[in-house]
Amino acid sequence: MNPSYELPRDEAGYSFGFLDEYAKREVRRAILKAICIPGYQTPYASREMPMGRGFGTGGLQLTLSLIGRGECLKVIDQGADDSVNAVNLRQFIELTCPGVDTTEHTGEATLIQSRHRIPEQPLNSAQVLVLQVPYPDPLVVVEASEAKRKIMHGEGDYSRLLTKLYEDIVRFAEITISHRYPTRINGHYVLDPSPIPRFDIAKLDHSPALILFGAGREKKIYAVPPHTRAEPLVFDDIPFRAEDFNDAQGQRRACQRCGASDSFLDEFSSANGTATFQCSDSDYCNQRVAAGNGVSCEVTS
Amino acid sequence: MTTSIRRHQTFNLWEPALQQQLFRQLLDAFAFPGAQPTPMLPQEAVANALLRLILATLIDGEVTLADPARLIPTEDWRKLETTNQAPEKARFIVARGDQAPTFTPALGSLECPEQGATIILRVAQISKGEALTLRGPGIASLTQVTCTGLDESWLQQRRDWNESFPLGVDMILCDDVRLMAWPRTTRISSKEGRPWDM
Repeated sequence: MNPSYELPRDEAGYSFGFLDEYAKREVRRAILKAICIPGYQTPYASREMPMGRGFGTGGLQLTLSLIGRGECLKVIDQGADDSVNAVNLRQFIELTCPGVDTTEHTGEATLIQSRHRIPEQPLNSAQVLVLQVPYPDPLVVVEASEAKRKIMHGEGDYSRLLTKLYEDIVRFAEITISHRYPTRINGHYVLDPSPIPRFDIAKLDHSPALILFGAGREKKIYAVPPHTRAEPLVFDDIPFRAEDFNDAQGQRRACQRCGASDSFLDEFSSANGTATFQCSDSDYCNQRVAAGNGVSCEVTS
Repeated sequence: MTTSIRRHQTFNLWEPALQQQLFRQLLDAFAFPGAQPTPMLPQEAVANALLRLILATLIDGEVTLADPARLIPTEDWRKLETTNQAPEKARFIVARGDQAPTFTPALGSLECPEQGATIILRVAQISKGEALTLRGPGIASLTQVTCTGLDESWLQQRRDWNESFPLGVDMILCDDVRLMAWPRTTRISSKEGRPWDM
């Protein structure tokens, strides 16, 4: 980024939220259709954004079409509010949406844009979660033609995807999809829930909040409406398994910073080479530490 | 100060901030079928203000619009920049709830179910009349709504149009002050049990 460059907002007369009103209307129409057809990848005319495809342009277009004055926005990347992607997107939205408040606290936010995680703190019905999606179609691993995939989706034909999962079990005794686990919404469409870990799939099921997915490069928007069934694609005799973070003794590992043993953990290598674990959701971890749950040994950098 | 207040009070359908607020209420209505948001509307009487604001929020030249009952004033057509299309082909249809439908809207296709029409129905009053029970995505178990000025044949037809998911139509209902949305996934039934129960 060129540090001396300033967005010529006043001269160019950018509209609130950077996107012009036609672009917002296009996204808004797609969002409503996506809610009406849960899990269906609704095509839309994705606009060029002043950042590369793959940096969350789909999620950003959703956020900018939703956001209004008085909104309280939280942006996270892999659970953290302070990693590069989150900071850049938040700054861009602050720059182009005057009157919008930002927060790091999940509970305070009315709109949350996220990359690869759903916050640990349960969402409520007044919140909207926007997820950035790199690859929207779960069938792309078994069918190259989009025209054919659209027919398969329409017919609810996921036999080839199930065959892939079955082959995984035969070969590796485990389904090898760790994140982006294919999930069936309301008994029909199977969607790619973006690269959230398996741990977060349960949060999609009967979520009290609306969850929207935006794929900017692939030009698709899809949704999991609130109070809607979301079931990971599995077999009757092989139950779905989420990351469990158990050690060799079968003990659930805890966050070394806040002591939480119910959160999704990131693994770090400490100075002496041993593995240490810490909450991926930084706000959840910080709140627990602030509430006095801190473990005596602080992180050594 | 006085100027800004007066400016704020002037009702302008084409104001982006107003459309954003209305969109968020539409979003709530679609995400939680049965919810009945009451958008901020002008103090002074503007005919069909809510209906026109919904159209201003959703319509532009990229979509087609049908208005068989001629509810949209001529000056709005110019601002909407859209083409008047037959209701069988249009992406958006504006209709009167008290008149039975005389057309079959676009239901989309298996590959492109989003091409099913959105019908915007002008009804007499939401939150009055016979109770309807809604079930489906967005509703925790069930919810009840009421509505007057809605011809029963709309419910009958809606059931037929939405029979083969993912094909179907989505509906927005509005009176003077409230709106409500019925996505194609919402199942509607009545207490007594009617032929259109889903």
